[in-house]
Amino acid sequence: MPVFKTPFNGYSVKFSPFYEHRLAVATSQNFGILGNGRLHILDLSPTPSPTPISELTFFDTADGIYDVAWSESHDNLLVAAVADGSLKLYDLSLPPQQNPSRSLPEHTREVHSVDWNPTRRDSFISGSWDDTIKLWTVDRPTSVRTFKEHAYCVYSVAWNPRHADVFASASGDCTVRVWDVREPGSTMIIPGHEHEILSCDWNKYDECLLATGSVDKTVRVWDVRSYRTPIAVLAGHGYAVRKVKCSPHHRNMVMSCSYDMTVCMWDFMVEDALIGKYDQHTEFAVGIDMSVLVEGLLASTGWDEMVYVWQHGTDPRAT
Amino acid sequence: MAMRDLVTGGASCNDSGSSSSSNPLGSLANALIGSSSKTRDRLKEIPTSTSSGSSNQFYSNSDEQLTALPGSESEYQFNQHSAGQDVGFLHNYRSASHSGFTEAWDDIQPERESNFLESRHIYNEGFATQTQQSWDGPPQKILSGFLHSFVDSSRFGAPFRPTALPMLGLTKGEKQCIRNRSSIMARHFFADKSEEYINAQVDALLCSLDIDNDIQLKGPLPGRVRELEEYWNESQGLRAPVADGWVAEYRQNKPELFNPNGWANLFEQEHGPNGWASEFEHDQAQAVSLNQSNQHMSRLAGMEQTRILAHTLAQNNDPKFKNSRFLQFVSKMSRGELFVEGNQVKESSISASGDWGAEYRQHHDGGLSWADHAREKELLGDDKWVDEFSKLNVQDWVGEFEHQAEGAVGEDIMDSWASAYDEYLNEQSVAKHNSDSSKGVYVFSDMNPYVGHPDPLKEGQELFRKGLLSESVLALEAEVLKNPDNAEGWRLLGIAHAENDDDQQAIASMMRAQEVDPTNLEVLLALGVSHTNELEQSTALKYLYQWLRNHSKYGTLSPEELPDSLYYADVARIFNEAAQISPEDADVHIVLGVLYNLSREYDKAIDSFKTAIKLKPHDYSLWNKLGATQANSVQSAEAIDAYQQALDLKPNYVRAWANMGISYANQGMYEESIRYYVRALAMNPKADNAWQYLRISLSCASRNDMLEACDSRNIDVLQKEFPL
Repeated sequence: MPVFKTPFNGYSVKFSPFYEHRLAVATSQNFGILGNGRLHILDLSPTPSPTPISELTFFDTADGIYDVAWSESHDNLLVAAVADGSLKLYDLSLPPQQNPSRSLPEHTREVHSVDWNPTRRDSFISGSWDDTIKLWTVDRPTSVRTFKEHAYCVYSVAWNPRHADVFASASGDCTVRVWDVREPGSTMIIPGHEHEILSCDWNKYDECLLATGSVDKTVRVWDVRSYRTPIAVLAGHGYAVRKVKCSPHHRNMVMSCSYDMTVCMWDFMVEDALIGKYDQHTEFAVGIDMSVLVEGLLASTGWDEMVYVWQHGTDPRAT
Repeated sequence: MAMRDLVTGGASCNDSGSSSSSNPLGSLANALIGSSSKTRDRLKEIPTSTSSGSSNQFYSNSDEQLTALPGSESEYQFNQHSAGQDVGFLHNYRSASHSGFTEAWDDIQPERESNFLESRHIYNEGFATQTQQSWDGPPQKILSGFLHSFVDSSRFGAPFRPTALPMLGLTKGEKQCIRNRSSIMARHFFADKSEEYINAQVDALLCSLDIDNDIQLKGPLPGRVRELEEYWNESQGLRAPVADGWVAEYRQNKPELFNPNGWANLFEQEHGPNGWASEFEHDQAQAVSLNQSNQHMSRLAGMEQTRILAHTLAQNNDPKFKNSRFLQFVSKMSRGELFVEGNQVKESSISASGDWGAEYRQHHDGGLSWADHAREKELLGDDKWVDEFSKLNVQDWVGEFEHQAEGAVGEDIMDSWASAYDEYLNEQSVAKHNSDSSKGVYVFSDMNPYVGHPDPLKEGQELFRKGLLSESVLALEAEVLKNPDNAEGWRLLGIAHAENDDDQQAIASMMRAQEVDPTNLEVLLALGVSHTNELEQSTALKYLYQWLRNHSKYGTLSPEELPDSLYYADVARIFNEAAQISPEDADVHIVLGVLYNLSREYDKAIDSFKTAIKLKPHDYSLWNKLGATQANSVQSAEAIDAYQQALDLKPNYVRAWANMGISYANQGMYEESIRYYVRALAMNPKADNAWQYLRISLSCASRNDMLEACDSRNIDVLQKEFPL
């Protein structure tokens, strides 16, 4: 299965929504604590080849890159969340010296998460350690709106897959908030975990289901219509859960990665929820994604500077 | 008694980073004007430059998107260039905003406008310029290896120890960056650990990188703060009338965009606008995390109350009041240097730089029974007084005092307070002494063959002379087990440990020696040096000062009473006087050398040690000190010569072997450094610091294959792989 080594520590990996063979990897030097960042654009070889992953291009930044999101409207456009508080837009169709095509320095602290609106496709949101969320469109040099209610770092933001104006945010203040951009404030607060919540993602089949991952080592699945108790608590990680991702192909499947260095697959509707555990990483596993275009194709990256792409059920390290 | 891990790092690091942004306002202005005009240009350029692509609609139809985007709070003028239909939209939007929503929004977010300005300020010294600063070469390798061991420490459960690092030349912005990010991230890595443990880990990291932890930009978790609720309830209240109006008006303009039964609104209807909020409030009341902020709040409240009291007291002109130790106590409390927690008065950790070490070690020992005993004893003594103090409603107390002061009958009460406070101070000093030593609990070896030896002291001295350090440690342990009051036994044991590169045990032994013989000069000097090695400045100063006080020749130089807090400059001044009195006393020059290491005046320190070496050329520990100082001042090549001299005089000098390794590592010669560490560890596998250095060097030399041998402390494998 394809493996790629990055010079810096991996932070995030995302499949392109347009090309099944393309992915973007956000990396940061020194675990993102200090140093430069690099955004890799990688291509998978369609046929067996000695180099199953080749690097299409890369972009350097003066600070670490914590997250990346592909545009849902344009195949060459992507946005990076940079630790210096800026968002940077990259256009692969432009010559390298014209990239980043735009830098949006508004957050006053590290930007930890970015998500492109999959239904409207013209806008994206960013979550930052300055406790705010900002709404952006590609055509404006400043943010459209700032959402400031969280009392601590916002670690993750995710658009609802059905409702174009609804998104969720996960924060270190131990809450998940659901927002409607037409409303002035959040429409719901879910005090989801006793510890910091590092990640959230919406179910792609049921727009009322939301998955969260927390420092308390659990993944929880919530129904926002009755959010007082989670509909599932998935225990099995040994350390904080860094990211959760809902499957684009199976309603009940959730993927997660953790500081315990493993990547887990879950079926939250069955009793033995843990259906797969991958331990290819030798450092914290912090970035995961599931391909929308190829069913069962998974990708992960971690602080061991490795990017793995593999088919669910196979060994990521097998060559 | 040796000196190695003297503080290194960027105290003297030049502010080259800040010079590049010497006019932050100017560059800010440039950045603002420059960037906005640039983006405007790009707005025009981009559509044409990407027009070859098939799906390049995302820029060109921007006008439509702008209008289609609801929820915009922005009133920026930049979109004036857009087509006419926009103007209509904006006009409508603005008239809608007159209904009050904008004002309401601004009320909620007063700092919204300033965000953009501030953003240029984050870590500006490190990152203000767009030019790529490159992080390469030895400093990057050292930093990377070091941070790696920090991250690793979350997994192996081993506490992260402060480590001396060569100067990395970090700028202020970079230091701030490391401090902020590592403290946020550490809370994720150390999920199971207590807040204190996490803080100790981060402190150890920051201390090693010579980063002050005094300004916590992003403090600990705020918990679920009450203000948030209020704010939320307020905004909730504001929102109902205002926002609905706005939404309604907007809907008229763009009806087709809206699902009239807004999805999110549904929830609200279901649960009522405030139903969930009160529910949430209830939940919050039970939230565990609240405790912490409460504690902090009550501490602040206490400070405020004592400040009132201090103010009242200070207005009295009676000189007795001015000298009142009680007043000092109260004003100390009002400044936050002391605080009441539960029923104990504690010294705030911000007051003394060395305190983190004590805290950390108590933790490290798992709160070893020793420390607990000490505290229990202390409780029996002063608990009552403190208890009374904290039980008193301070506010009432202030009132009562004011009342009595007016009547001028307060003196008796004042006296009894003062005596109670004296009592407290005495107890406190005893307690402090106890807790100082609790961090240096001596750990005896199991299976000591010398127990039962007829004269273990003599045997230990003999072994020490032969340079068999680990053996002599065992013999001396047998001696102090037999005669716990033998100061010489403890002292020699301490020296053996120091030369064996084990500062923890060295400090523990020396403290026992000092308990038995409080005025032993060699012991005091050794304690000063060991604490310097462990980066504990205030404690080191205390012992060096006591050395002077107890010295027959120089005792008269220092003031009668030991001041509460020692200032480095005062101590250094007195020692310089001592050096003038007797320039031929090598010991004075040694202490001066140590002091200059504390203040990081390495050139002066090198001179002092060189002077001492001229007086005592055969003192191997002096050569080692000289080497360590040279290494700290980035003269690693010279340092290696000095260490070589020390090793020529004493081939089994474990510490000098380890120091050689450090000097090579500082020069980026990791392979060599590994060989020296391994040599040192082969002689004393208990040298914990050396194991850590070895780990860093192994990862810097990309010898990850040997990390396992290092972690399992398999010295045989390492020796085979890295012969010297």
